[in-house]
Amino acid sequence: MSNAHPTPQVTRPPTAKSATAVNDELLSSLNAPTRSWYALVALLSAAVAWGLIAFGWQVTHGMYVTGINRPVMWGFYITGFVFWVGLSHSGTMVSSILRLSRANWRRPILRSAEAMTVFCIAVAGLFPLIHLGRNWIFFYMIPYPNQRGLWPNFRSPLLWDMTAITAYIIGSSLFLYLGMLPDLALVRDRSHGWRRDVYALLAMGWRGSAHEWAVYHKASTLMAALIIPVAVSVHSIVAWDFAVTVVPGWHSTIFPPYFVIGAILSGVAAVITLMIVIRRAFRLEEYLTALHFDNMGKILLVISLLWSYAYFVEVQTTWYAHEPIEWEVFSFMADRYSWQLAVMLIGNSLLPIFTMCFKRLRRCIPVLLAVTMLVNVGMFIERFLIIVPSLSHKNMPFAWGSYSPSWVEISVNVAALAGFSLLFTLFAKFFPIVAVTDVRELEARKAQVPLGRAELPSLAVED
Amino acid sequence: METIGIFADVESAGRAVTGLVKAGFVEAQITSLTSVAYPDGVLVKVEQRSWFRWVALAGAAVGAVAGFCLAAGTAWLYPVRTGDKPIIALFPTGIVTFEITMLFAIIGTMVGMFLEMRLVSRRPRLYDPAIAEGCIGISVSFYLPGEVVVCRRGDADEECIGAIANLSAREQRERAEGIMGQAGALRTITE
Amino acid sequence: MEKTSSPYQWGMAIDLDRCTGCGACVVACQAENNVAICDKKEIAQGRDMHWLRIERYWTGEYPDVRVRFLPVLCQHCHDAPCEPVCPVYASYHNQDGLNGQVYNRCVGTRYCANNCPYAVRVFNFYPHDWPKPLDNQLSPDITVRSRGVMEKCTFCIQRIRRAKEEAKGEGRPVRDGEVQPACAQTCPAEALVFGNLADPQSRVARLSRSPRRFKLLEHLGTHPSVFYLKGGGREHV
Repeated sequence: MSNAHPTPQVTRPPTAKSATAVNDELLSSLNAPTRSWYALVALLSAAVAWGLIAFGWQVTHGMYVTGINRPVMWGFYITGFVFWVGLSHSGTMVSSILRLSRANWRRPILRSAEAMTVFCIAVAGLFPLIHLGRNWIFFYMIPYPNQRGLWPNFRSPLLWDMTAITAYIIGSSLFLYLGMLPDLALVRDRSHGWRRDVYALLAMGWRGSAHEWAVYHKASTLMAALIIPVAVSVHSIVAWDFAVTVVPGWHSTIFPPYFVIGAILSGVAAVITLMIVIRRAFRLEEYLTALHFDNMGKILLVISLLWSYAYFVEVQTTWYAHEPIEWEVFSFMADRYSWQLAVMLIGNSLLPIFTMCFKRLRRCIPVLLAVTMLVNVGMFIERFLIIVPSLSHKNMPFAWGSYSPSWVEISVNVAALAGFSLLFTLFAKFFPIVAVTDVRELEARKAQVPLGRAELPSLAVED
Repeated sequence: METIGIFADVESAGRAVTGLVKAGFVEAQITSLTSVAYPDGVLVKVEQRSWFRWVALAGAAVGAVAGFCLAAGTAWLYPVRTGDKPIIALFPTGIVTFEITMLFAIIGTMVGMFLEMRLVSRRPRLYDPAIAEGCIGISVSFYLPGEVVVCRRGDADEECIGAIANLSAREQRERAEGIMGQAGALRTITE
Repeated sequence: MEKTSSPYQWGMAIDLDRCTGCGACVVACQAENNVAICDKKEIAQGRDMHWLRIERYWTGEYPDVRVRFLPVLCQHCHDAPCEPVCPVYASYHNQDGLNGQVYNRCVGTRYCANNCPYAVRVFNFYPHDWPKPLDNQLSPDITVRSRGVMEKCTFCIQRIRRAKEEAKGEGRPVRDGEVQPACAQTCPAEALVFGNLADPQSRVARLSRSPRRFKLLEHLGTHPSVFYLKGGGREHV
């Protein structure tokens, strides 16, 4: 029997792929587009074009082509606005919080989440312009010295909206760009011709020197910390559009946190939906694994519980106080929109809470797809049920009314969805849709460490 | 003047850096070029203090003033009474000031980061596309006697450029190339 | 309130005990202010343009059924919810306590209408025209509003302006009763009384101190300039 103790040997994981192989796989989305890609782009463009026609119809005819009336002066457009602002919270929440908490499983997800933020907020920003009675003079709301001698009113929540959305569009675009910088350098090195020139311009001469990386990491952390309060403030301000009014059902102090929670709920659900789509479309099964869906499912569960709590708080206080006009709004909503209310409660609360409790269901892609899509259907309804019933039954019973959307409003909302998808499809074709360097960084730091009888995966980290 | 050695893996690149330091090159001269980030010290050690956050802070300060002027200042210059709200209203001013502060802080972070990284570089610098494919570049910058060198904070002058600077550029380069070759460099490129 | 920086604070008293619900005020307002003519379809859609409406409420069971009328126009609130929410200052507060509406500033966010608890703001959903010979009736004193613009009762600001100018020319204040909006002028029962609330001797100011007075949705704290009178032993009529 030998006395020699072999030194424990740390090895690279046997499955480790070469960097080139990982690059090839993760950047496969940048390959020359296929026929089905063109078909998708054509389809989405057609839907956007239809929306533009509908919008053109509205501009040339008048607001009567929509379903709004007195007293329901806001309808599907503002519903769409709140919905898309809500969706845009995915990127910040998923990406920044996970970045700050150094959750390694974030890596394959964050790019699509950040891109989604940018495109959602861009789409959302269009709605307040679309819904104007006189869209052609939208610039009256922009603060710049002008010959009209007019200045916008910063006491109006709509101006807070504009300021916040501008800040968020710029901030989230920079956040997306910052996260993409090393990847752009990588794509630059792998491409040729004019594309190389474009990527070289965007990569700003990045070489990946130790100094660049050190600064880059600090900047990413700071940026993540800065973008979160902006995201929270954006949706709080959207909530204040309603909460600062004297409209029964709107004037509620819980609205800002409630809206932020709703935003994160729809955002997280949308990120999961998108993960499923991207995984399928770009064959990323190896990188978006059951672990990612499991973790995202847990987040969905927590947020759905929070949302249910907030909704319960909102409804139960109104129910108990039974203040006549507020209660009228709630009972009108439950009466006129009962099936929508049921879909909302099932989609946002019962179904996600039930399904996401079980590991097997969290890891089951079809279940996740169905649940997350239903969450967003529920969230659209939630926005609608906040906006419309309150306006329908305001303080003066003589002036009560109701609302149904017209084909123009439905078309524009469908076009918004198509427009978002189109932007995302184009983005995925021209930019790395998975954070290659982040994923590879994780691979480079992985090792198998012997511990007792087993060899366990370990990760080299800094403090 | 700069030489880059291209290595296939971290281990050989690490050996090369150790060899260079032993031969009298100093850490300040050596940097790694990688397509993924490695923890500090795996290849080279870099200055951990950074100043770009001051730019972010300056951005925030400018933003706070700009935001306040935008909301309160313009309302004061253009006083129109609405409802029972004061011309300079506390909460709206606070909200707008906050947004603009954050926006400028974010822009300041980006600008500061690029300034500290010394990007955008105008002239193309020495590089090898193989780095994108997982290779590791070890870059050595050469300084000649009498050349002005920016030291890191706290470094003595001789630590800054080291005794190696007494050699001619050509000798320095040959020595560095030799060390990197021994450590297992796939190739070296020099500018 | 120290907001009074003008000798005039226009206000109105509406005596519900006098109102017969005849609707003459509605017609007068429509004729005076270039208010658009709406067809059945528009009204059915809730897109009528009336600046002043008579709300009609039925109370009691047959055979003891009574009808109550409530003329509702812009209340010209001092703390108007519609004003601060406008992003372009189209809705603002003027010196005389009027709730102004500047049509050519309006971009049509309709936020003011949502935040008006009285629902008296009307929006030009349709482009309106005045078929011949009705176009001859258009008043040259005020704008014809285009589609996409919010509008509402102004207390016939064109009449107020004229009266103030005439008074200024003669170097005297506007006399009580000298200026009347079309609705008050037309009311056969004299249910609507308009005047200067800042003058404690004016008729409207005296009525506003009546024990019969109340304001619409007073609990919201909007401080309307319109006072309603009801009661005085005639509650059941």
